[in-house]
Amino acid sequence: MTNLQQSSRQLDLGDTPTRFARGWHCLGREVDFADGKPHAVEAFGGKLVVWSDSQGQLHALDAYCRHMGGDLTMGTVKGDEVACPFHDWRWGGDGKCKSIPYARRVPLRAKTQRFTTVVRNGLVMIWHDPEGSEADMDALPPVLEGVGTDRYTDWTWNVLDVPTAHCREIVDNVVDMAHFFYVHFAFPTNFRNVFEGDKASQFMESTGRPDKQEEGYGDEDLVLKSEATYFGPSTMVNWLETDYKGFITKVILMNCHVPTGPNSFKLQFGLCVEKPEGLDEKTVKYIGDKYTQLFGDGFMQDVEIWLNKAPVQNPLLCEEDGPVYQLRRWYEQFYVDKADVTAEMTDRFEFEVDTTKANEYWRAEVEQNLAAKRAEDEAAGRPVHH
Amino acid sequence: MAYITPRDPETLEDQQRYTQARLVEVACLDCLAHVRVKKNSNHHTSIQWTQQAVTECAEFTRMAASPEGRRVYAHCPRLAASIEHAVRDGDVTIGAEDGY
Repeated sequence: MTNLQQSSRQLDLGDTPTRFARGWHCLGREVDFADGKPHAVEAFGGKLVVWSDSQGQLHALDAYCRHMGGDLTMGTVKGDEVACPFHDWRWGGDGKCKSIPYARRVPLRAKTQRFTTVVRNGLVMIWHDPEGSEADMDALPPVLEGVGTDRYTDWTWNVLDVPTAHCREIVDNVVDMAHFFYVHFAFPTNFRNVFEGDKASQFMESTGRPDKQEEGYGDEDLVLKSEATYFGPSTMVNWLETDYKGFITKVILMNCHVPTGPNSFKLQFGLCVEKPEGLDEKTVKYIGDKYTQLFGDGFMQDVEIWLNKAPVQNPLLCEEDGPVYQLRRWYEQFYVDKADVTAEMTDRFEFEVDTTKANEYWRAEVEQNLAAKRAEDEAAGRPVHH
Repeated sequence: MAYITPRDPETLEDQQRYTQARLVEVACLDCLAHVRVKKNSNHHTSIQWTQQAVTECAEFTRMAASPEGRRVYAHCPRLAASIEHAVRDGDVTIGAEDGY
């Protein structure tokens, strides 16, 4: 090793985990599974089959039939059971084989892996635990009052595939104050984190960058007040109050993910908008679509970073950064056996980022960018915006 | 089994540095709660609670008893005042060391 290598800092890439997080994972909207057909969901390094029974109850099982490995997602729903396309073995939501049409009796051991399934706020949640514990109903995200009624628009739903990054990358965003300026084109003016138990929260106030009008959150007339909480390892509820030229809209953004493999995940986001009084459906839909595009663009900007970055175990931080190490300490509780969760991982921790200096420097940078743009426009004979 | 295992022993030193270094114990002036605090600047505050301190915090106990319960982001104004007091008394010094 040369002297240079000894004195320079090295990234610790770490080894990715061999297990997936314990906790509730959101699979999407209930309505998208309610058509009486089996649905394939890529999750936890394999595939699941999800279907709705004759009572409208949703069930989730491992996708591969325990008989000869047929793919149940290619089968059909018969009565309350999912039937394998290979030999018509019928599997119930409790994981048991209910009948084999050509057999005298069903083997007693015909039991497959099932996932407890709950619909909350119109979204399908499944419990995953490598230790096989009972689903923890107290760990579900809260019931969002008014969602699913006439007060809110229906959930939008989008899925982005992230094939080459660990899902911890998206969780890291909880504490990443500065990326909101560089990646999402906003000035985060207030930024605070609280972690406690199985919840991790971020509070942020931001305004858009005037030099990035129409890009990401970059619109100086857009003021965001955001409170976002992870309920467990993968489901974040983000309550947003957006102020656009004095017009206030309340948006609930669901940001959740399902790990698909040791180094890949599917990012999903959906939002609903509290319908402002006196607005017609068309205008409300327009607002919803606009925010879907805004946050969709935002997530695409994140994905672009993740697809190209290195994993890092030993991030080097400056004073303006958020509490990355404490967040990861919190996140680790979902990757160890329940008995190995330590007080350190779950003890309450509060952190307020000092954004004063950062915003001073950023304001100056944006001013320079605007001046350069004006000079460019003048030189090209274009009308100059002020 | 950690969720992502560091390969370099120095990473563990970093973890200690960022999560433990320079935390100073502050006692609440109104209840029995003790927390550990770090202030890198006037506006920055890092507060490490224990489960015991959360149980002892009078304000949190009051919030927990209210119909809407205690929400994770609610903070204790009495503790904030106690920290300010500790800063004025010079028990908590303000300033960062090389980014932590």
